[in-house]
Amino acid sequence: MTSFASTYMDLDQGWIDRRIFWEKEIYEQELERIFARSWNFVAHESQLQKPGDFLTTYIGEDAVIVTRGQDKKVHCFLNSCPHRGNRVCFADSGTSRSFICNYHGWAFGLDGSLKGMPEDKLYTETPGFKREDWGLKPARVESYKGLVFATFAEDAPSLDEFLGDFRWYLDAVLDADEGGTEFLPGVTRSVLNCNWKFPADNFVGDIYHALWTHLGGVHPMLAAHGGVAIDNENSYQVSVNGHGWEFGQNFLGNAATMGDRDILRWMKSRSDAIEARLGTLRRNMWGAVSSATIFPNFAFLPGYFTFRVFLPKGPMKTELHAWTLVPKNMPDEIKDKFRKGTMRTFSPSGMLEMDDGENWEHSTTANSGFVTRSQKLYYGMSPRGQEKDPGMPGQVYRGQLSDANQRGYYKRWAEFMDAKSWSDIPLAPVTGGPVSEAAE
Amino acid sequence: MTTATLEKPHAAAYQLLALDGKGKPVSDTQLLAIERFLRAEARLLDNERYREWHGLMAEDLFYWLPLRSNRFRREKRPEIEPTNMAIFDETRDELDLRIQRLESGMTWTEDPPTRHVYAITNVEAFETEVAGEFEVHSVFTLYRNRSEHDDNMLMGRRRDILRQKGDSFEIARRLILIQQATLLTKNLTVFF
Repeated sequence: MTSFASTYMDLDQGWIDRRIFWEKEIYEQELERIFARSWNFVAHESQLQKPGDFLTTYIGEDAVIVTRGQDKKVHCFLNSCPHRGNRVCFADSGTSRSFICNYHGWAFGLDGSLKGMPEDKLYTETPGFKREDWGLKPARVESYKGLVFATFAEDAPSLDEFLGDFRWYLDAVLDADEGGTEFLPGVTRSVLNCNWKFPADNFVGDIYHALWTHLGGVHPMLAAHGGVAIDNENSYQVSVNGHGWEFGQNFLGNAATMGDRDILRWMKSRSDAIEARLGTLRRNMWGAVSSATIFPNFAFLPGYFTFRVFLPKGPMKTELHAWTLVPKNMPDEIKDKFRKGTMRTFSPSGMLEMDDGENWEHSTTANSGFVTRSQKLYYGMSPRGQEKDPGMPGQVYRGQLSDANQRGYYKRWAEFMDAKSWSDIPLAPVTGGPVSEAAE
Repeated sequence: MTTATLEKPHAAAYQLLALDGKGKPVSDTQLLAIERFLRAEARLLDNERYREWHGLMAEDLFYWLPLRSNRFRREKRPEIEPTNMAIFDETRDELDLRIQRLESGMTWTEDPPTRHVYAITNVEAFETEVAGEFEVHSVFTLYRNRSEHDDNMLMGRRRDILRQKGDSFEIARRLILIQQATLLTKNLTVFF
């Protein structure tokens, strides 16, 4: 078996082989070893409020239906009829009591189980046919503070173990307010002709690009304030199980880029309450210049609160689905301003997002050249080493301008690709984070 | 921030959603003037004359490109609502910010520039309850090409409220309805 860790990268030397962004064979292995094995983001609980509420999405390239069942639980199962394979549900979201395949009318319940079919005597009289064997294949479903994940891997650890101490950081956006969070209505979908890992590695730890890519986009909002300022002494990259977050400590640096004073005024009004709840560090993370990726393909931006998944559609194609997450208790008029603020910055018409797609597309397509893809990519930027006693969980590097998280991400990618089963994949020990922080 | 300032743009959204072409058709002369205006507007966009294009917008502009989605016909909640995420949901000042991005000289992904052409067809215009304001429906075809193989076409409908301004018009409301629920392109670095 090819060792991805040794063949396709040397993270100590700081290089990665471009073939992982290009080769169809590697991509097919990713579908099996990354997406069919990992926990994958599929929904926010607020999208599935009542029994019968459903949405459709993907785990890797596997189409799935996610529902709120009559049992009030969230279910996730394949969106492909086990009779002749046709897609079962063609709607993006809605409310339904059942899902009926268009082809022969096989009907499935909100838990994916096969409920019946036209002329069912043809089957009840068929020796050996058992209805319970032919439901829509279910995935395991678990949630963390509103975010719903699913996996088809029976041997996967719990979601809590998969996220590990990254949960301590996630609370900075998911648990900043006692009322919890929700997605604003509407999902923005667009297609990028790039490998899915480029956007994932951008969000996991590449604030460096913002200093150049987004100069034009931030100019109208920030030129008067001196543009994007990165303080590499008072900022961090943290990596846990391949999940990564790069963040400053400037509290509202990302949020300010939306150029809306009412948003900033409201966020400032929440400062003391969040500090009392989460401590100073995570208060400062809430809206700071920062970005994060949960391995393998789910990312978000604190401050804008855009949450997005990069769905693989072949080695050279990615479908981006994006939502805006807000505290439920946020006043309606501020929610409306976030709706517009994330749209104006991070959507297909967003003044920042508009500049990203082209970079990722050409980082991908350039690899059609044989000689081009033989030259490694440099991921070695490392102005400072790992912090030995950071007082924060995970692998911590001072300075958000660094490739440290990206190296952590690809190390994780190689661990998944090389593993025969989940038992080969290491999990960082869970400490729960510095418990005293919240009580400070 | 008051509730009234929130309701105002949403009122404009509901006004646009309700435009159904049932008013009294304008005269042929008036229709010709409106078509002439829309063609000239399209030429400004073809030629990246965004400042002049912005000058056609009314001070109380509401400019909206809502998201589309695949939904069962039986769904009761409307597909398009003003509180949903959108692609554009703009005042005149917010459009100005977007043009400043293009004018910054630092938008690397538009240099060399994208080439655009807009075709505006199926123009219909109707009187409204307000004298000097017209309900205008049209279809746009936007063809874009940039770099070597980056080629993109998007068709959709527009519903406008045009307001008489001297011997021409200004755009007071614009609803842009595209047909793609999943945008089959990496961005919309465009106006409509």
